[in-house]
Amino acid sequence: MTFWRQAREIARKDLRTEIRTGEVFFVTIPFGAVALMLIPLAIGTDAPLLRDVGPGMYWVVILLFGVLVALRQSGVDEGPQLDVLGLLGVDPAARFVGRAGATTLLLLAFELALGPVALALYDPAPKGWGWIAVLIPMVAIGLGLLGTLAATIAASIASSALVPLLVAPLSVPILLAAAQTMEGLALGNTIVGWILLLLIMDLLLAVAGVLSARPLQEASR
Amino acid sequence: MLESAAAVTLVAALVTALLVGEEQTQGDLARVLFVHVPAAWLAYLAFAITLLGSGLYLWKKDLRWDRLAAGSAEVGVFFTGLTIALGMIWGKSTWGVWWTWDARLVLTAMMFFVYLGYLALRRSIPDPVARARRSAWLGILGTIQIPIVHFSVIWWRTLHQPPTILRPGEMQMDPPFRGALMMALVAFTVVYAAMVRRRMELARLEDAIEEAINAEEREVAGAAVTAPRYEGGLGV
Repeated sequence: MTFWRQAREIARKDLRTEIRTGEVFFVTIPFGAVALMLIPLAIGTDAPLLRDVGPGMYWVVILLFGVLVALRQSGVDEGPQLDVLGLLGVDPAARFVGRAGATTLLLLAFELALGPVALALYDPAPKGWGWIAVLIPMVAIGLGLLGTLAATIAASIASSALVPLLVAPLSVPILLAAAQTMEGLALGNTIVGWILLLLIMDLLLAVAGVLSARPLQEASR
Repeated sequence: MLESAAAVTLVAALVTALLVGEEQTQGDLARVLFVHVPAAWLAYLAFAITLLGSGLYLWKKDLRWDRLAAGSAEVGVFFTGLTIALGMIWGKSTWGVWWTWDARLVLTAMMFFVYLGYLALRRSIPDPVARARRSAWLGILGTIQIPIVHFSVIWWRTLHQPPTILRPGEMQMDPPFRGALMMALVAFTVVYAAMVRRRMELARLEDAIEEAINAEEREVAGAAVTAPRYEGGLGV
């Protein structure tokens, strides 16, 4: 079985498990929507203020709750499963790519589901929909790779709060790029630099994830 | 030896910092910068050494490099905390607030949390080899933050002043102040080296103790084999 076939099968397995459990669709997405509703209750229901902060709040919720997507129980492989995958000759790098691919698709769904909620609640007036269509998958890829990598690094560690602690500060460049791109589009400023930062982050995380897959899998046994 | 050198250079830096005349606009408050700025530089250096130690561990598989990375990260977290605390004291007197939503401040705090996460990860993994291997990757990834923190004052219009010394062109600082700052930098570098060396030694001893405890608890090879028992005796 080729590398890409292995990765595709792993991603398909993860997505099938997600469809059966509905963890992201029936738990994390509603949880994110509740968070978007709670923010105006905390900072006040001043419509112009909410219009201004809406895009930023949307990205913060995507980042913080996106960690839950990367950490979903349906995406966890315990020792015996890893051993079986190893015995079947599954390349750890292919496993990383498959896992990150499935997480990215789920994060994309998460972003697309919460987008209309944020639009309805905060009533922002986003501009440059073409760029936003580029931005949303790039953020999903970055968070998917980072979340998968952090989950691999912290695999089989009892503390469930560790992965969010690892992911949240490291995702600052992604959050900055996303929020600054939206602001740049709204103000008519150039945003190429931010898109480039996002692209560099995605590439760096992909390279780090693939290179570290085998040693990290060996370390978790 | 290194500890003595650290003590001597620290005293020299303190004397130099006190001998420099008052700054025209900020008065004595400006002396905070003789600790704040070197602490920030040492934090960068410490995390760069963590990157180096992590990379060398992955290459050589020698736990000494892992201890260097970990020791340097611990000292780096201390210096980052010191930088933030002193910056807040200076900010309260100058800007009127302890904290402001400035790019440099927020990103420095984030860098602090990245390496706190690194140390938390290390505490969660008892096996030294697994700990070294996993944290090495995080030590490499965490470095992404350093250039972002450093260049934040250039990329964004911030309240924090742009680089005064590490900048193209001439330094924007009078020679006496520059001399005191350089003296403090030398002292802090020696302190950093002494702290990392001591921390590496402690980590080596901790590993040795852990290994000894594990060796005591480990069953001796063949312990599961018991002497054969003959039902009904041997008939003698």
